[in-house]
Amino acid sequence: MSTTARTPTCPTRPVADPASERVLRTLVLGLGNPLLTDDSVGLRVVDRLRPALDGWPGLELAEDYWGGLRLMERLVGYDRAIIIDAQCSGAPPGTVSTLPADAPPTRHGNSAHDVDLWTALEFGRQAGAAVPTASSIRIVAIEAADVDTFGEECTPAVAAGIPRAAEAVQSLLIEWR
Amino acid sequence: MTTQRISIDPITRLEGHGKIDIFLTPKGDVAETYLQIPELRGFERFCVGRLAEDMPNLTSRICGVCPEAHHIAGTKALDALFHIDPPPTAKKLREMFYCIFYATDHTTHFYALGGPDFIMGPDAPPEQRNILGVIQKVGMEITGKVLKMRRDGHNLIEMIGGRKVHPNWGLPGGVSRGITEEQRKEIESLGRDAIEFAKFSLQLFNQIVLGNREYVQLITSEAYTHRTYNMGTVDANNCVNFYDGLIRVVGPDGREHAKYRAKDYRDYIAEYVEPWTYLKFPFLKKIGWKGFVDGEDSGLYKATPLSRLNAADGMATPLAQKEYDRMYETLGGKPVHHTLATHWARLIELLYATERWVELATDPEITGQEYRVLPTATPDEGVGCVEAPRGTLTHHYWTDERGVLTRVNLIVGTTNNYAAINLSIKQAARTLIRKGTTVTEGLLNKIEMAFRAYDPCFGCATHYLPGHMPLTVILRDPDGRVLQTISREAPRAS
Repeated sequence: MSTTARTPTCPTRPVADPASERVLRTLVLGLGNPLLTDDSVGLRVVDRLRPALDGWPGLELAEDYWGGLRLMERLVGYDRAIIIDAQCSGAPPGTVSTLPADAPPTRHGNSAHDVDLWTALEFGRQAGAAVPTASSIRIVAIEAADVDTFGEECTPAVAAGIPRAAEAVQSLLIEWR
Repeated sequence: MTTQRISIDPITRLEGHGKIDIFLTPKGDVAETYLQIPELRGFERFCVGRLAEDMPNLTSRICGVCPEAHHIAGTKALDALFHIDPPPTAKKLREMFYCIFYATDHTTHFYALGGPDFIMGPDAPPEQRNILGVIQKVGMEITGKVLKMRRDGHNLIEMIGGRKVHPNWGLPGGVSRGITEEQRKEIESLGRDAIEFAKFSLQLFNQIVLGNREYVQLITSEAYTHRTYNMGTVDANNCVNFYDGLIRVVGPDGREHAKYRAKDYRDYIAEYVEPWTYLKFPFLKKIGWKGFVDGEDSGLYKATPLSRLNAADGMATPLAQKEYDRMYETLGGKPVHHTLATHWARLIELLYATERWVELATDPEITGQEYRVLPTATPDEGVGCVEAPRGTLTHHYWTDERGVLTRVNLIVGTTNNYAAINLSIKQAARTLIRKGTTVTEGLLNKIEMAFRAYDPCFGCATHYLPGHMPLTVILRDPDGRVLQTISREAPRAS
């Protein structure tokens, strides 16, 4: 299994919406908690992507720490989004999955103080917020082993998944190009 | 009533789900209930050896729900650690910042979490019992108001605190920066908008909840009532204050049991350990731990928005005081022991937070340039307390002479309520599940309402919380055999 990230070919021209010629804005957002071991993996994938995606037209790389309503508010103004987050679905740690926006929640997809992402997006749309459509959002999820212990490093299997997650993000961007 | 003793092993890790075990008697009534949730581990080990001055930023990252509360509590603990008293401008800035956070937080809870149960009804299908159902029922106007409140609050928190979500601002002896007159005007203007929004929210509650006899009966029903001690922070006039004051505890009859400074909390609060959970149960030391029972002989207490109103003699702002009086008149006087009335109290606190926000924004000292004094004393030990939206939050740090942490203790808001939450679940389950009852999703939701009123935040930053999170309820017979398992994933709007 390759552990080196492919370097994507940056488009020479901005990616534009054919109907309006407007440059499409894409957000690549890593979610996580930097103090909770594998819960930081989304943030680390973004770190790894920064040099590879420098100069990609219309693209913003960012980190955040929230799901639900605040995540929806973060997506306002973008045409497309890739959210990178830890997941606890029972798969082997380090497994990388690419999911639609209405997939079962990731770590930050839901909480008792918030709503799930799908509901939040619908709420935003009904409020007139310019959020991406559900079909324009993808989640790159990395299976976590430990999200309950304080620590500043990922567990080894999850750390090994970081390059694969970065590749998955890049593949999506190329597919959308 | 006899049941076999069942051992619930906390070493069996909860795999991301909250779990309620309900044990039935041979007759089919509820004997006992046990709420278990995953707990975050290793916090103290993580902190020891770090600089105490990092704690306001570190602890704000523990909690994905109220980072501002940890930031301010941590900052106050640093004040105590370094034996320094911040100047008035700094205290007022901190309190104003905190009131803005409170307004945003309480708004989110009511409209996204607690409100749907009443506005849609507790028996409504789960896919309707959320913020989208609320919009459909009460109209689109509310959508814009909620989003504006949140947007304004987050923007102001970033303006004042230096960063959205995790402020970068509190220091021992003050804060890292003040505000300009231009910023002050914006804060004041948005605060006045927020007052109108809070008034609107209370009108909505009045119309939809209090105007519905069924809901009022639900609120005052025995399923959601138990008589405990109540805790909250009060100012010099015994009015509710979120940022600072003395911690006051009143008994089930409303009489004052204790009033103490934050640094003396260990003289009043101890923690009980049960074998079936990692979490500890704080209780009132002088009364003692008597188990999951209420009454004046039980040291079990609550620290919720309703508790704060019960523990105080009133609110410090005029509009909130009127609503305070109205709530107690409606519910038969003080103290109120109906858990679901916590939602009402939360809206009264929302109104107070917005009024206090504007009071502070129009204070002549708020734009002062003296917003920090430098500490000179050697650090050793310090306690900082604030009222987190979910309860009294305590940060306690011990350091060496360099300010390096040697020990840390946190009591987060919901920890105060863990025993009461277990009691509330048991109360609701015992009332709602009797012999022959078919346990349905709606009934499950009514049990969940018992603890959703607390707006619980058990582990901080854990998103595996009961409520709209994956939750499993297991009904067992007296021998522990599983009779029925109701598991639900996070609901989604249809």
